[in-house]
This record gives sequence, C-alpha cells and structure tokens, in this order.
Amino acid sequence: MPHVLISSKKCTGCHMCELACSAYHEGAYRPSVTRLFSEVNPTLGTTKGHTCLQTGCAKCQQVCPNDAIVTKQVTVTPKGAFASKEKLGESVTGYILVVDEAKCTNCGECYAACPTGVIHEHPDRHVAFKCDLCDGDPQCIAFCQNPYVLAVDLKLDKADKALVVS
Amino acid sequence: MHLSRGIRFRDKGGIVDFYRGQVLRVDLSAGSVAVEPLNTEWAEKYVGGKGLLLRYLWQEVPPRIDPWAPDNPIILMTGPFAGTNVTTASRLVVGCKSPVTGIYNDSYVGGSFAPEIKFAGYDAIIITGQAAEPVVLTIADDTVDFVPAKPRYWGMRTSEIEMALRADFDRDVKVLSIGPAGEAEIPWACISTDQYHKAGRGGHGALMGRKGLKAIAVRGTGSVSVGDAQAFLADVLRMHTDYILTEDNLWANEEGTPFLAQVMSDAGVMPTLNWSTGSFDGIESINSDAMQKIKTKNRACYQCALGCRQWHDVGSVAGEGPEYETIAICGANCGIDDLEALLEFNHECDELGLDTISCGTVVALAMDLAAKGVKDFGLRFGQREGYVNAPELIVQRKGVGADLALGARALAAKYGRPDLAFEVKNLELPGYDPRGSFGMSLAYSTSDRGGCHMRSFPIVEEVVAGTLPPDSLQGKAEYNVVKQNFSSMKFSGIWCDFWAMDLNQIAQLMKHVWRREVSEEELAVVGERIWNVGRLFNLREGVEPDDLPVRLYAAEYAHTTGASAGRAIGSEVFREASAEYYRLRGWDDRGVPSEAKLTELGVDVRLPSVATIDLRER
Repeated sequence: MPHVLISSKKCTGCHMCELACSAYHEGAYRPSVTRLFSEVNPTLGTTKGHTCLQTGCAKCQQVCPNDAIVTKQVTVTPKGAFASKEKLGESVTGYILVVDEAKCTNCGECYAACPTGVIHEHPDRHVAFKCDLCDGDPQCIAFCQNPYVLAVDLKLDKADKALVVS
Repeated sequence: MHLSRGIRFRDKGGIVDFYRGQVLRVDLSAGSVAVEPLNTEWAEKYVGGKGLLLRYLWQEVPPRIDPWAPDNPIILMTGPFAGTNVTTASRLVVGCKSPVTGIYNDSYVGGSFAPEIKFAGYDAIIITGQAAEPVVLTIADDTVDFVPAKPRYWGMRTSEIEMALRADFDRDVKVLSIGPAGEAEIPWACISTDQYHKAGRGGHGALMGRKGLKAIAVRGTGSVSVGDAQAFLADVLRMHTDYILTEDNLWANEEGTPFLAQVMSDAGVMPTLNWSTGSFDGIESINSDAMQKIKTKNRACYQCALGCRQWHDVGSVAGEGPEYETIAICGANCGIDDLEALLEFNHECDELGLDTISCGTVVALAMDLAAKGVKDFGLRFGQREGYVNAPELIVQRKGVGADLALGARALAAKYGRPDLAFEVKNLELPGYDPRGSFGMSLAYSTSDRGGCHMRSFPIVEEVVAGTLPPDSLQGKAEYNVVKQNFSSMKFSGIWCDFWAMDLNQIAQLMKHVWRREVSEEELAVVGERIWNVGRLFNLREGVEPDDLPVRLYAAEYAHTTGASAGRAIGSEVFREASAEYYRLRGWDDRGVPSEAKLTELGVDVRLPSVATIDLRER
C-alpha cells in the first residue's frame, strides 16, 4: 500500500525530509523525533534511507500485544514533483498503519521488531509514534524537491495493488 | 558535566522562536563550561551569523590582544534559520581575532554542525583559554564533557577523527575538528566538519590547535521553534518552488563551482603560474567537463536543496571537490593540468586540515621563486613531483616545508621578492585576477578580513553575466559598498552565497523571525551596520591600509598573454576609486566611520579613542 521510500542512491544527505517531518508533526523542527530518516555518513558520502513500509511490512502490528497498531484508509496527494507521479497519478488511496495512542502501553515490542528502525517511543508523550503519511500530505516528498534528486518518493506495495483507488 | 539550566532539551522549543536563547561558554584553561542567556537585544540588532558574531567578538576580544593568547576566543555562531527547512541556511560561522591577519576573521562552513548546535540548545559557543593537555569537547544536549585527546585522537587526520568520534560516542554525532595542520599551528590550518566542509580562511584551525582543542562532537535532540510550524512550512515550500527550484539554480547540482573554471580562464581572470597570466593553457584537463567524467554523485549540506557538492572518484582518490578556488589556485596557478594530481593535492589538504587557497598560493610562489632562479624548493610549475607531497611536508615543517609554512608574505619577504606574494592583509588571494575583472580590485582591498572574494563578487556581473564592463572601475566603488552591505546581512542568516537571493526574499523570511512586515531598506541598514562594526573592530585592533599587490593594478604589470592581456586598472584610477569608496561609506581618509554615520546606522559600539588608531605598516 502507499508508503514512502528513500532512494539511498539518489539521496544527497540534506535531511530536508526529516526536518519537514518533525515540523509537521511536532510543531517545531526536531529531527531527533522524525518518522523517517536518512542515515548519512558524510565522511564516506553514503546514505541509507529508513522509512515505514506500512501494511507491506506490518511487523509492528504483528507483534503488538495490545492491538494498538491499527489499519487506516488514507488518500495521499503529495505536493510538488515526485518521480512516481506519472505511474501513480496525482493521488493514491490505500491503507497505512497508525498508532492508537489510547491502547499503546509503550511496551517496546514494536521498537525491537521494526526492521527499518522507524517506530520509537515519543520523548514527550511516551507512546509509540510512526509515519502516517501526514494524513495524505507527505511533507518529506514535498521538501525533497530538487528536480535532479527526488529521492523521497511515494511507492505502492505490489501485493495490495488490487486495493488501489486512483 | 551536567549543566543546570532553566530550559531542558525536552521543552517545546527555544526562548524565542528561531533562536534557542542560550550561549555555551567553554573555558579550556579551567576545564569548565557554563550557559548564559543569548543577548536578545544584540540578536534583534545583528540577527545572527556574521552580525551577531561581530557584536560578540567586540565584547569578548580584549582590545589589542595577541591573537595567540588564551583569552582570544573562538566563537561558533549559528543563524536563526539553522535547523529549519530554509535552504542553505545551515551554515556556521567561526570567528576570532585572526592569528594571521591580526584583524577579525569570519569563516563560514556548511555541513551539519550548526543545526546540531541549535538542536543541542545553543545559538553560539564561545571558547576561551588553553587546555593544559589537548582535549575533545563532547556535547550531548546539556551534558558537556572534556575527553583527553591523547593518545587516541591527537594526530588523527580529519576523516579519522570523524569516524572515531562517531564510533566512540554516537553514530549521529556531528564533528568539528582540526587535522594535523591545526595541531602544528600552520598559519592557514582550517577547521573541518563533515570532512569536506572547511571553515577555511584566516587560521582558525591553528588557533584551535594552540588552544589544545582537537575536536568538538555534538549531538542535539531538542527543537528549533518557528511559531506556527504549518504556516512556516507552507511559506518555505512556496519560496523553494519560486526561488530555488528554478533553472537559474541548476548549475549548482549539475556542475557546482567547477563550472567557473573554463569561464574564468576564457575571461583572463584565472590566476595562472603565480598570477603571471590570466588564462591557463591546460584548463581543459581540469575544467568542469573533465570533472564530469569522474563525477559519481551529488552531496548536499544539511537543509540544502541545491546539492552543489560534486563527488569525484579517480580510483586512487574519492571524495568531494575540488571546488573552483582549488582548481584555480592549486591547479592553474601551479601550472598543474594533471587532474589526478590535483585531486590528490586537494585530498591531502582536506585530510591535513589545510586551506587550499593559501596552500596553493604558497606552493605556486615556491614554484615561481624556483623558475626565477631565486631559490629552488624542488617544486616546478606543472610538475607532479614534489607538488602532491608539499602539504604533508608543510605540516611537518620538514625540508622545504619549513620555509613554505611561513605563508606567502613571509616566504616572499625572506627571499627578497615581496612583489611575488599575492595576498591582502596577509590573507592569500582566491582565484580571481582583478586584471580581468577590475571590480575585484576594490572587493579585495576593502574586504574586512583581507584577501577574500566573498564579501563582494563583481565577477558575477563583470564576467559570468556580462552586465557590467570588466575593464572599468566606473561605479564599482558604489557596487562594492552595496554588495558588502548585502552580504553582511545575508551572511547573518546565514545563507549560502549559492542561493542568489535578494533583499526582498530575505525580508520574506525575516518577517517570520521578527513577526512583522520587514522592508528591504531596513535590511540594507542592518547590513551596513554590521559592516561598520567590522571596520571599528579592525581599527581598534590595528589594521593595514586598504591596499592590493601592486602587480594587480599598476599599468606596467598588465598581462602580456591570455584573454586579459594589455589591461590594467592604473594606480591613479585605483587610488581614486578607493577614495570614492571611503566617501560613499561615510568614512574619513583613514577609513574611520563618522559619528554621524554610526548614529544613523544605530551602531552601539564606539572606538575607545580615535586618536589611538594607527594603520599598521604592511
């Protein structure tokens, strides 16, 4: 289903996506509380993208003892240029995974299970927090805009393509 | 040690939006740290970056102090937009009274260090004193520690220290360091961050070495508030679309600064063979086309959509750079058309922590002295032998390195040829020959930190765009005044030179900081205010007259070859334009700002006594 992916090959390591992500969700720029990140080694010039694959992965949902990771329908309409626009169209409807904070006990099962390391304890609210595609307006894609880069992109999970409503 | 302070890093942002409201003070002599509130009155008047740095330097530098003395501080200053989505504003400015020039020096560097300082909770770090034994300073939000640099870290090259500190402390730690050059106090040792990013000019690395500070490792988990974040995000995105993602800016990602190489050589502006001509015969081997063949990817500074950093790989060496200045000064000026040798030289300078502009200038001078039969340093124009190893010999002060480590002015003086040193106020000149672009003469002579192209850059209009005549000084005094004021404002943001922004765009961003409509006029005043504080600082400390190496303007030294052959500014014209510049500035004939001008600009500092000013001899 719709999820964001960072192309490690294209990424220049500017961290714009993390900045936008944190400002949108936290109300202030705080990239230590980000829902996706690019692991950058400036000395070696390498980058490795870490994003939530949503329902295509769902390890967090599987291990949650409290059913606090819930499936939610969302229509995603990214702003600006993004590489897969031609293929996916202006908007994509599908399912993502979000945290039901009322049910989350901060037990940490999902933190350990997440293969990309993008679900964590929120430092202020002390519950899990993760990518929700900004309710359909992903800021990370909007701010990865250099026409030569477009490293942060919207992707669809093959298995669930039947559910896509364009 | 754990700092006690009112604001903890898990708060909802700084005291004032865009600023964290705190300054970290580090005393290396006492091995102590303290936090103090940011002077918000100064922050409003001087914005941040260059302006706020200067105001703090005025306060913190004991007048007339020996720059090598422990009490001469190194100040790391951020700008209000560091740590936000505002493109290119991640820059850090490093400042001190330069041990090389004896006047103030502000050196800018990209990478990710400034945002990390902000996230750790500080707008600035003021470093004073001198450690008894070398240390590494570690900052994790409000936990600050001194770690002995010996034996593990002292002696490490810049890539090694970064990798080591990441391994020892935190994968995400951001590192500001010196290499062996800073430890050896080489006059043009620079400060490095993210390996390829250098606060290059003015010897900050040497002063850091003298202070016994090998590196600072910082990790911040706090936040930079911007008021209404959603509104700010929307406005910044609009500005990116309108001003950043335009065809005008694509050069940065496509070619970066190497694009200038062919243009400058064609215009007779490229310093070649120690400034003896303005066009380089071997330019095609080291121009942007040559670089494109070995380019493998783009890199970017933190929060930058331009992504101008070009990653090159020739097998023996891989990494970012060389930038234009290195191509010009370490390439053409040394007669080097061997791209691999140039990359190796650049890599050595990066790893040792040497400024390539000064290093290339000194090597070219040594080659020139040999060519003229004055002294043989084993260095020849165009020859790889000796050239690639020169940086290492300089740092070790071994063999010819001992002489070369003197710097261009002292080296040329030692061998009786001061006319062959291309520097202003003892800072070696970057890669633009004023004989091909007359406006650069005033840009160099009136630059507030000595030989520098960053304060005013008539190359854009005189050479790249061709909208102003390159062979006339008519109107260039005014041009330089306006541009210096503008760049003073721009470098307080701190925006990178590569965003070709104007005051209107700065106003659109500053209104978020000041929470009111901002006019272009008031921003120009802020810029002029900052430039005047810089002048006062330099007058207070004792500054050489604003001058230029005579070869760059006198009629008898016009080039005889290259695209700028036969062109000379002429001594009389240069003197007249210099006087005009002072008049336009509201300065007297010694460059002292009038009381009326300082009052008009709202400058809140004054010289102790105008009578004490002496313009030092060169």
